[in-house]
Amino acid sequence: MTTDTSGSTGTTAPPRVHCTAAADGSLSFALPDTRATALVLKHRRTGDRLRLELAPDAVLGAETALAEGRWDVLADCGDDGERSVESGIRDLRTLVDRLPEPASAAVAVRIPYPAKDGTLAIRSWLRAPHAEAGAIGFAPYAMTVEGRLYGTGLGPGAVVEARLRGTPGVVHREPATGGSGAFAFTLPYAPLAADGITKQAIWDLWLLPSGEGEGEGEGEGEGEGEGTAAVRIARILDDIADRRGIYVYPAGPADTGGRATAVPYYTVGNDLSVRLDPAAG
Amino acid sequence: MHISFLLHNGYGIGGTIRTTFNLAETLAEHHDVEIVSVFRHRDLPVLGTPAGVTLRHLVDMRKTSATFDGDAPEHARPARIFPRGDGRHRQYSRLTDARIGAHLKSLRADVVVGTRPGLNVQITRQARRGPARVGQEHLTLDSHSYRLRREIAHRYPLLDAVTTVTEADARAYRTRLKLPGVRIDAVPNSVPAPLIPAADSTGKWVIAAGRLTDVKRYDLLVQAFAKVVAARPDWRLRIYGSGDTSGNERGALRALINELGLYNHVFLMGSAHPIEPEWTKGSIAAVTSRLESFGMTIVEAMRSGLPVVSTDCPHGPGEIIADGVDGRLVPVGDVDAIGDALLSLIADDELRRRMGQSARENAARFDPARIAERHEALFTELLARGGPGGSRSPLRDAVHRTRSTVLDGVYGIRYRAAAVLRKGKSS
Repeated sequence: MTTDTSGSTGTTAPPRVHCTAAADGSLSFALPDTRATALVLKHRRTGDRLRLELAPDAVLGAETALAEGRWDVLADCGDDGERSVESGIRDLRTLVDRLPEPASAAVAVRIPYPAKDGTLAIRSWLRAPHAEAGAIGFAPYAMTVEGRLYGTGLGPGAVVEARLRGTPGVVHREPATGGSGAFAFTLPYAPLAADGITKQAIWDLWLLPSGEGEGEGEGEGEGEGEGTAAVRIARILDDIADRRGIYVYPAGPADTGGRATAVPYYTVGNDLSVRLDPAAG
Repeated sequence: MHISFLLHNGYGIGGTIRTTFNLAETLAEHHDVEIVSVFRHRDLPVLGTPAGVTLRHLVDMRKTSATFDGDAPEHARPARIFPRGDGRHRQYSRLTDARIGAHLKSLRADVVVGTRPGLNVQITRQARRGPARVGQEHLTLDSHSYRLRREIAHRYPLLDAVTTVTEADARAYRTRLKLPGVRIDAVPNSVPAPLIPAADSTGKWVIAAGRLTDVKRYDLLVQAFAKVVAARPDWRLRIYGSGDTSGNERGALRALINELGLYNHVFLMGSAHPIEPEWTKGSIAAVTSRLESFGMTIVEAMRSGLPVVSTDCPHGPGEIIADGVDGRLVPVGDVDAIGDALLSLIADDELRRRMGQSARENAARFDPARIAERHEALFTELLARGGPGGSRSPLRDAVHRTRSTVLDGVYGIRYRAAAVLRKGKSS
């Protein structure tokens, strides 16, 4: 009638990992009660691996670059092979409200988070330059964004460029302003809805710090001598690996005609986009 | 001492499970402790088996298990021993009546501890004479249905002790029920010391955590925060938690945040497990409930070094927070007072630091070791009172059975009268 489940902690439970983010950007991982000898970070898409020895904690130094994307954290348990680990306590207080040096050429962000199944993963971003979105405001039929810029300066012809997702070449530009290390812009919705909206449309927001003369490139090094390439606007300087559902903004009418509504939102990768939907009915 | 807990389901997640596990694990350092879970629906307990404690079950609800009990004919028939007034009655059955009965009749423990009203009642009806009988109440007398209060009034005289989590609730049991000879003690829930360093009072965030249900009144907190932002736009608010079966205020709160233009300042974070590291990202905690049976999150925040601004609602907050020392107590439902109390702590860095420090020191009284000592002292006293061979005499039981029936009638009339008055008011 009864069964005992007392005693051992069980061999089937995955090792539990606690991690701590230090102010310098390094992450340390502690695995109490396991025989693991190292942690292995594995890039979910490329399969790239990075091994961190346990001595006794595993440390991912601030100077160690981690390619952008999602990394699964595995424990090397010797003869038992590599095992997923359970996400334990994540002490990420130093990541909250991070303000990198304004002069930083590159911004590296690593946020440990629990995947859907409770296992530990790390979301990494590597941006150089980086445009960090801050407060988002609203005016009639328009949104405003204030942010900080790292690794480049804003030229006189700086613009924000909305790119229609899935349709290369369809863009809309508005001027961007700002002093040292800052940018701001107002994006009216009406031009995004100008051709009439029959189905949902997503516009991704990019900052072109030195203006319009640089084409559609997204890579580094493009337009050398003419200024910096387009920078995807994102919000990554805190402890939130996925802002969807948390940083949520109100939808508003896109124009006086009431044919569409527009709403800014953060994507699964914490990049800033605008969604337009045809008005209901 | 051999201590046997009787728990609804030790394999799930919830406040009663957590607090029972904390207590059992601490008591197990010096005693022989078992937790008997009426139901088992998973192979492993979500919260892990408490160290040194034996955990076993009476009814196997795992469909994949060879000993699955869920399709037993007896399990389809409604329970007769487990009282109907307990909200979990529908999960109980003739099968649970019999299994719990067999367990209680053969139990060779010094103390048997029930952890919800239905199980406390079942202990009074089925436990063999011998073990001291303790009924724990994790909710409050107020929150029980009329029917359950009657069943409790009728059966609890056959317990040796009732423990509540607040003094306020203990007073209710002492004054509103006649339980002669039953010791009624308030013993608060325990919260372990955090595993990470306390907050350092510099984070410009206010933190709240709890289910997004109506009783938590987060709408008041959001409104109060509009006042905070007007004076101090550099401060922001995080609310952790999600809805449950009793409701989900998320949509309504989202609409309120938009209406007040607080989308750059107030964030609904969803659930976080464990919650412990989230407290340390802020430097003030807020609770705006209209009711808190105890106030577990208040103690958690204090143990992490945060002063707590809380409504002085029944039952717990006023017994946890020393107003002006380690937090602030404000009138229930008073948006201005909540906003002012938050601003008073935001405006004064030194006050916030000092109150956070006091919060951490004062919350140490809820440490599992200190709380377990109080339960242990109670158990020891009950055993001494009862003497060897049992704490109850047949005569005392018989007397109380008769008396409780008489008093039950009086209690019932009073409640019917109250119900009529309430009905008159609302129509």
